[in-house]
Amino acid sequence: MATHALSPAVPAYRGGLYEWLTTTDHKKIGIMYVINSFLFFLIGGVFALLVRTELATPGIQLFTNEHVYNEAFSIHATVMIFLFIIPMLAGLGNFAVPLMIGAPDMAFPRVNALSFWMLPLGGLLLLAGFLTPGGAAAAGWTSYPPLSEKLAQSSPGPGQDLWIAALILIGTSSILGGINFLVTIFKMRAPGMTLFRMPIMVWTMLVTSVLVVMATPVITSALVMLYIDRNLGGSFFLPKEGGQAVLYQNVFWFYSHPAVYVMVLPAMGMISEVLPVFSRKPLFGYKAFIFATAGIGALGFSVWAHHMFTTGAVFLPFFSLMTFLIAVPTGVKMFNWVFTMFRGQLTFSTPLIFAVGFLTMFLIGGINGAFSAAVPIDFALQDTYWVVAHLHYVLFGGSVFGMFAGLYYWFPKMTGRMLDEGLGKIHFVLMFIGFNLTFFPMHMLGIQGMPRRIADYADPSWNGWNLLATIGGFVIAISILPFLWNVFISLRNGKIAGDDPWEGNTLEWATSSPPPPYNFDRLPEIRSERPVFDARHGLVGHGGHGGRDEEEAPMALEEGHRDSQGPTA
Amino acid sequence: MSTSPRKRPASEAIVAGGVVVLLIVIVALVFLSGAGQVLYPPKPATDRAQEITQLYDIVFAIAVAIFVAVEGLIVWSVLRYRRRPEDVDLPAQTHGNNLVEVLWTAIPTVIVLFLFVISWQSLNKVDAVSADLTQTVRINAIAGQFQWQFEYLDASGKHLATQTTPLAGDSGGGMAVPVGKPVYVTLTSDDVIHAWYVPRFLFKRDVIPGQLNHFEFTVDADEAGQTFHGQCAELCGTFHNAMHFDVVAMAPADFDAWLAKLVEKANATPPPVPSGAPVLKVEAKNIAFDVKTLEVAANAPFVIDFKNDDVSSITHDIQIRQSDGTTVIQNQQAIAGGTEQNYQYSPLPPGTYTFICSIHPVPNMTGTLTVK
Repeated sequence: MATHALSPAVPAYRGGLYEWLTTTDHKKIGIMYVINSFLFFLIGGVFALLVRTELATPGIQLFTNEHVYNEAFSIHATVMIFLFIIPMLAGLGNFAVPLMIGAPDMAFPRVNALSFWMLPLGGLLLLAGFLTPGGAAAAGWTSYPPLSEKLAQSSPGPGQDLWIAALILIGTSSILGGINFLVTIFKMRAPGMTLFRMPIMVWTMLVTSVLVVMATPVITSALVMLYIDRNLGGSFFLPKEGGQAVLYQNVFWFYSHPAVYVMVLPAMGMISEVLPVFSRKPLFGYKAFIFATAGIGALGFSVWAHHMFTTGAVFLPFFSLMTFLIAVPTGVKMFNWVFTMFRGQLTFSTPLIFAVGFLTMFLIGGINGAFSAAVPIDFALQDTYWVVAHLHYVLFGGSVFGMFAGLYYWFPKMTGRMLDEGLGKIHFVLMFIGFNLTFFPMHMLGIQGMPRRIADYADPSWNGWNLLATIGGFVIAISILPFLWNVFISLRNGKIAGDDPWEGNTLEWATSSPPPPYNFDRLPEIRSERPVFDARHGLVGHGGHGGRDEEEAPMALEEGHRDSQGPTA
Repeated sequence: MSTSPRKRPASEAIVAGGVVVLLIVIVALVFLSGAGQVLYPPKPATDRAQEITQLYDIVFAIAVAIFVAVEGLIVWSVLRYRRRPEDVDLPAQTHGNNLVEVLWTAIPTVIVLFLFVISWQSLNKVDAVSADLTQTVRINAIAGQFQWQFEYLDASGKHLATQTTPLAGDSGGGMAVPVGKPVYVTLTSDDVIHAWYVPRFLFKRDVIPGQLNHFEFTVDADEAGQTFHGQCAELCGTFHNAMHFDVVAMAPADFDAWLAKLVEKANATPPPVPSGAPVLKVEAKNIAFDVKTLEVAANAPFVIDFKNDDVSSITHDIQIRQSDGTTVIQNQQAIAGGTEQNYQYSPLPPGTYTFICSIHPVPNMTGTLTVK
């Protein structure tokens, strides 16, 4: 294959710092997204550890006062959601989507660079709150008014304004990125790449981008109204002056619930690439999976008020019904994934292990969410640690495990080198144990009545679970160390990846690792959702049965075989 | 599906099956041994809480069944279908199966619709309110940063008296209710959003400024004499974590006597300021005292004319503490925003003290009292 000219000479990314700072190459921008998001993951993680350390035992020990604690968890959540999960997934999408559809780049490369550079700026604005009098935003990542208003006893300092400015910047970045993805996916697909031959990852990025483009302007309106209230004499959310406090919650969640799917759909897309490759089978129910993804996206706009069941201001049965219904397409996906592994041939490389971690943990995040969909039960659970457990099983057990599956999966494509499998497995085991130690006890705390967002607690029966959760938090932190070490040593001495180290299905594996700036010299024929698989095996995988009889040559692991079978169309 | 599945050694199937069975046994043991109790709500104390507990039973049973079934399927697939060195041929390339896909769409739909219907029925009972409010005990819970006040109303909704101090313990708010009688609660806030939450009632409701929320419950008759801990459950500012209250359940006769006493106390004329005692003036506004230093003579009683200029839901008081932080005078009842009261203090030995609002122990509500 022609791209072999660049391989195995690793790395192929040329150019110094200036080149990286000014690049419009979607691969370099994607990698910068990943690095930037990972740095904010570490920052958000430090805040999480501070919060958990404070809660390890009753009393106020670590922080000088309760307000600093409120800042810590507010910034933890804001950083993790807006500066880690959303941009990390967008960044992996940025790297993968043009490659997966056989495009040379995103549709608007400069806009792509602009989307990226808004993120570190937004992050620095947010963190700059700590340097202002009154500290950073402390009204929670949801920043409900009147608490987030500029009242003496609420949030008088500029930290809250910086929070608003940062979120508007990050939101603008998301909208630009979303439009870029949509145009890229609709207009830049290679010949033969029909919509129903697109990889699931591309489908999930497509639905995610629709959600981003439709929902993000709505939260921006909430943020602008809040800014006007705070600085320009407005009273949108001030009841004494004729405003309505709950209005903000409606507008905020109209974005922020779909944002949950923005945070989880791309991760679902990643494991939907990983599971078939490491099971040596196609995704079970490809079209059903796509419809389920679109269904989740559509239903996602009709469930926002399930965050507001206790406000007494929303029509409960409707939002309860829609929330229950959204479990159906999610369940369809779960079965699709499990049946992809069923009767497959599973290779337990790190990407697959993280994908299985996603399945086992996201399942819990779905089940414990059903409790809150039942409105009367939510009256007990809302704003307790049960909700904290639920959201972390979805966003950590789901998104973060899926994100790591994607990161381990595409690292060879990004860098040309393999990550170490042993360290990857240590990373997984520590993170899996730490995750469950941290977040499972929060179910117990929540159902026993511990509210979230409290700096101190007085019920002695909560001490043990809190201590356990704190220990788990530190195990998660430790689990990051083998990952960082792995990246560090693998970039220097890692095994050369070659074009297609995993026997992948999708087009990114038909070019060199890392790919050349223009991505492809030539493309294999695209006659299914697995063009590289087809090029390797012929069309054995079609017609509902296959395998041994049709296959002309056994698919061995040895080098060289792929080259003879490689994409030469 | 493959027409000719390869013969596999049974060892993996045995291991996988064994692990799945083990998983089921562990889950069963957890619940049979009672250890599963930690995932269960506390004992319900009201009629509404009983209702929610019954719903929880059903949801929990279905949740455990789904958890075991799907995790079992995942564990089975992972352990059973490991790729072996001799697996060179591709496995059967199954793209889907319409029948099972329809089934795993239809069955979950039926399950969630069932859950929706039973939770809706339950909701209607939990949210039900007496048609005739005169048959209920009416309480207006006033939430403010960071204290609860409970205003008792007569049958027509007119103010009787307000309980501003704790009934049990030494901080937070106190709310007395009779057992076996419907209690109708309205929720008001003048500052930010709070939430009224009592874990043993399995219930919370937001207290939203500009909006009047309400709910009703009846405490079980066998709970007379019990105290239920409650807490604000919506982040409301710096001391959100300290916004506690207690609900004290009383036999109806005890409750009537308690309420009569509260009304009597509220209507009593305040004791006159002792003649000759010096009167100091302190005002609180925006959660800050207007003076930071006070001076009085040693070993003589004195009075602080305390005015609270904050909104009505925010209460303040003035405690006097020694330099080591221990409180020397704390028996001053907190007063609501918009009211004024003469706090009388007993004589103090010479020294330097701190005067502080016990509800907002922040620098802005801390000052120095010099006694000499």
